[in-house]
Amino acid sequence: MWQAIQSRETGRTRPNSFSNQLKSRRISSLQLSNRKDFVSPHRGSVNSLQVDLTEGRYLLSGASDGSAAVFDTQRATDSEASGLIAKHKCVFSVDKGHEHGHKFAVSSAVWYPIDTGLFVTGSFDHLIKVWDTNTAQAVVDFKMPGKVYRTAMSSLAMSHTLIAAGTEDVQVRLCDIASGAFSHTLSGHRDGVMSVEWSTSSEWVLYTGGCDGAIRFWDIRRAGCFRVLDQSVTQLGVRPPILKHTAVNNKVSAEKSSSGGKNRLKTPQSKHTGSQNMKGSSSVKASVEKSRQKRLHPGMLSTLDRATAHYGAVTGLKATNDGMYLLSAGSDSRIKLWDTQSGCNTLLNFETGRLQTNKAIQLATSDDPALVFVPCMKTVNAFGMWSGRTTLMFRGHYESVNTCCFNSTDQELYTSGADRQILVWSPGGSMEDDMVQDEEVAEDKDNWSD
Amino acid sequence: MEVRDDGGGKVIGLIEKATKSSAQEVDPRLLKAIKSTLRYSDSEVRVAAKTLMELMKHKHSQVRLLTLLIIDELFMRSKLFRTLIVEKFDNLLSLSVGFRTSLPLPAPPAVATVLRTKAIEFLEKWNLSFGLHYKEIRLGFDHLKNTLKLKFPDLQANAARRQRERLEREMKTKEILRSKFESLRDGFGVLKGEIEETVKEIKEGLEIVQWRGDDGVPLAILDEEDYEEIRCSHLRQIRMDSLKQSDKVEETSENRVVFDVLREQGKLLMKKHLVSVQEGISLLIKVDVSDNRTRDSMLKELIDIRNDILATEKKCEEAGFVISRIIDTPEKEEDEDEDIWEDDDGKVGTDPVKNVAPLARVQNGEGSSLQSPSAANRSTLESTSNKAPSTKMVRRSGDPLRDKLISEAPIMNWGSQLSSWDSTTEVRANHRGLELESHWGRVDQDAVIPADKIAELNLQASVYREERTEIPPCHAPLKKGALCQRRDLRACPFHGPIVPRDDEGNPIIIEESQNKTSSTTEINQEDVSMDETTSDSDPNQLARKIAKQALKNIREQDKEELRKRAKRAKHAKVKEHNFSVLRDAAMASTSKSAVIDEEFDRVFAERKNKKQTFSLGRRKKTTAKDRISERLLSNRAKGTKPKQMPQGNDDEKYRETSANQW
Repeated sequence: MWQAIQSRETGRTRPNSFSNQLKSRRISSLQLSNRKDFVSPHRGSVNSLQVDLTEGRYLLSGASDGSAAVFDTQRATDSEASGLIAKHKCVFSVDKGHEHGHKFAVSSAVWYPIDTGLFVTGSFDHLIKVWDTNTAQAVVDFKMPGKVYRTAMSSLAMSHTLIAAGTEDVQVRLCDIASGAFSHTLSGHRDGVMSVEWSTSSEWVLYTGGCDGAIRFWDIRRAGCFRVLDQSVTQLGVRPPILKHTAVNNKVSAEKSSSGGKNRLKTPQSKHTGSQNMKGSSSVKASVEKSRQKRLHPGMLSTLDRATAHYGAVTGLKATNDGMYLLSAGSDSRIKLWDTQSGCNTLLNFETGRLQTNKAIQLATSDDPALVFVPCMKTVNAFGMWSGRTTLMFRGHYESVNTCCFNSTDQELYTSGADRQILVWSPGGSMEDDMVQDEEVAEDKDNWSD
Repeated sequence: MEVRDDGGGKVIGLIEKATKSSAQEVDPRLLKAIKSTLRYSDSEVRVAAKTLMELMKHKHSQVRLLTLLIIDELFMRSKLFRTLIVEKFDNLLSLSVGFRTSLPLPAPPAVATVLRTKAIEFLEKWNLSFGLHYKEIRLGFDHLKNTLKLKFPDLQANAARRQRERLEREMKTKEILRSKFESLRDGFGVLKGEIEETVKEIKEGLEIVQWRGDDGVPLAILDEEDYEEIRCSHLRQIRMDSLKQSDKVEETSENRVVFDVLREQGKLLMKKHLVSVQEGISLLIKVDVSDNRTRDSMLKELIDIRNDILATEKKCEEAGFVISRIIDTPEKEEDEDEDIWEDDDGKVGTDPVKNVAPLARVQNGEGSSLQSPSAANRSTLESTSNKAPSTKMVRRSGDPLRDKLISEAPIMNWGSQLSSWDSTTEVRANHRGLELESHWGRVDQDAVIPADKIAELNLQASVYREERTEIPPCHAPLKKGALCQRRDLRACPFHGPIVPRDDEGNPIIIEESQNKTSSTTEINQEDVSMDETTSDSDPNQLARKIAKQALKNIREQDKEELRKRAKRAKHAKVKEHNFSVLRDAAMASTSKSAVIDEEFDRVFAERKNKKQTFSLGRRKKTTAKDRISERLLSNRAKGTKPKQMPQGNDDEKYRETSANQW
């Protein structure tokens, strides 16, 4: 530890890599925090958690009892056992008792990405409400055609303030806070939409996952969806390297074609672009992409339109922070990693056990080490994003876990589930922990009487 | 900790052996072996934790129970073991408590219940001792308690409650003691004075008595001469006894007064003062006050007083009278007293002692000690019998003030309230000396009934007893010649008001009263009676009386007439009203009224045949005639309304004007 600091001081390691080292060490030692407790005001299963995007400090939670609460993750309201356990009570909460409170379960609660002055809740009472954080009053509400499963706001959006809402209804609606009306109605799904995720690379791109098992990509500037992910369209490996030489490309494409799944998709394309086939897969793909978009859009071929990403509903979507990949969880208890560029299934096998099937789950990712945190029934598992191996397992909840939320500023993981608790998983063996360890109380020591 | 990794595995055998038993407890020797194995080896701890968790999955509650017991033992001791167990704490809980419906506890059910209760108990214990350091324990505890609402024994809260209650009780006791101490301190001087007085009196009395007794001693010595003569061993024995009692004083006619006083004072001393002194001592020992010096000095004084009293008692005993220390049986005392009194009435003759030894009785008067022991015991009786008639008088005249008070005092029934007469102390409600646990819940040991409540409870209700008075018989002469023997208070039903009569049954009161009665009854014969009365003696008075009577009669007649007139007027009114009502009814006679009539009929019919109820619904329908009549009626009402309105307006106007005038 001190050595690393010294090497950073002397310039042997760059500050960035130093912090990355530190962070990755901390992340890999996540464990249930004994020193930080969120006092949950919720009386129902907690469905949604999000740390605000500006400060990384305030945690917003929404629960099935119709309540939403905001916690300060950094400053404790009080402490127990002479400062050993810091208790974080909610800064405020809005529940059924509130005059504008939701009547039924809050399924989703997200921060306004620009600042913490607003947050959005979606509820099973068909309403999406936008709240002023400072006054705890609802400022705008949108009446949806059905239960709201998930709402999302783009973290990048500079030119729009749209809330994407996945509801019971087959149409995804975009609600404009600025005007207080629906700006878009995106139709394409054949069943309710359980998960909605904005792209982290483009403010115009929206990913939605429906109960029909389809994941659709939408460009909100244009009508209709521009891609439907197909689980059978695969690519081996994480991403085909961007190659300049066709010779190498050929090799790769040969490998690819031999890998099976993709052939099926290629064959119809090759009919139209047969001459281009020799140019290399990337260019082929791009052209195919283009031609397909040209040709298929807006109607798309019905065969393509019926592609599914999961057997069963898509319960969770999460775009990686670099925007290149999309993680999806399905009621078929699988996590899939998709290349957003190609729309291919990367065929990565995540060692999940059973996943929750009837409820939307919230995944979380960390950058370095690249981990995916997935609620697997009563535990939360951390998988290596490129390996799919379980690296950490978080046991602590007594009921199934719904959401996990990673706070990258503090390297803390917040999880919550049907047991109404919000648990904090913080890096163990940290400095302050060690310091406390030294003066540890005699109560928790070996006590051999005989 | 000395870490000595010897591969492990030793503990597995021990644990498996320990969990194979069918007992409710783990074999303590095995447990000890396990503990001593684990104490020095971390790897063994790891192995043990793993093995135990595996064993917890065993599909038999007995194994799980024993495993859980071992886990508890180790959990309370080893930190490493705790950290290992806590990692899969939810697993452990679900296997031991069985709170997941998908994973119920295995058979046998009886052991499963024990397992569950034990697990819950342990969880609470662990949470209490280690909850702060292990979030997992806290979470599990919270989940079971707040989400699943399992019932925990709540050890801590219970203990705290018990502690609090005990403290409260102690505080209360202290308060009571302190208040008692206050009252004792306030009344200490008085008490001391009283006791000293009594002791002094007794001492003086004893001195007097003993001085007299001294006369007896030489007599006893004199008897020594006779000693030789009595050969019979039995008699000798008797004599020896009596000699032993020689220093005891016999009650004689001379010292009777002193004896009485002594006895009374002794009783007072033993019954009241000694008890209060002893109570005071125990109170002072128990009480905890800031003013220790006063307490100590008081305690000292009280002990001195007690010793004094005891010494006095001893002296009294030496002097020959036993002051009964039995406080709780005043009846016995009473009996003794009564014996004395009964002797007065002449039991004397039947007294066997007297019959046996008349000589002794004779000598008794001279203060001789030559008495059989039985006679000595009985001496008081005998002496009282000797002086039988005077005793009562002596007693009575003993204390004039007391006698006076007694003559004034109301007679109370005997009861327990007499013992707490005028006392202002609180009584403990649940104090019965026995430490019994109540079966009906917790008992407040320090509940007190305040003095005023006690007074209220002891409130004497006196039942009014009517004094029995002889009701004089009627004594009116009967046809047979005898007198009426009916006893009525005021009037005989046959002979009218009861008046004093002479032996023949003639009223004793002078004739005129009879006349008067007759005049009141017969108004018409007024004049005649007047004539008659005038002939009687004392004409002036008579005349006045008659005049009065006449006036009265006339007035009554007037009244009667007035009353009759009023009655007639009333009758007329009623008649008028009835007539108007009838007329209205006739005018408004519609089908509704008919319905009423019919209903009457129906009611009558129903009485005959109760099943005819359905006719009611049918008849209630309004007919066309009905409607027309209603409309007519309403029209009429409209017609009358305008007439009434101006009247009201006039009234109002008048009111307004008058209001202005005011």
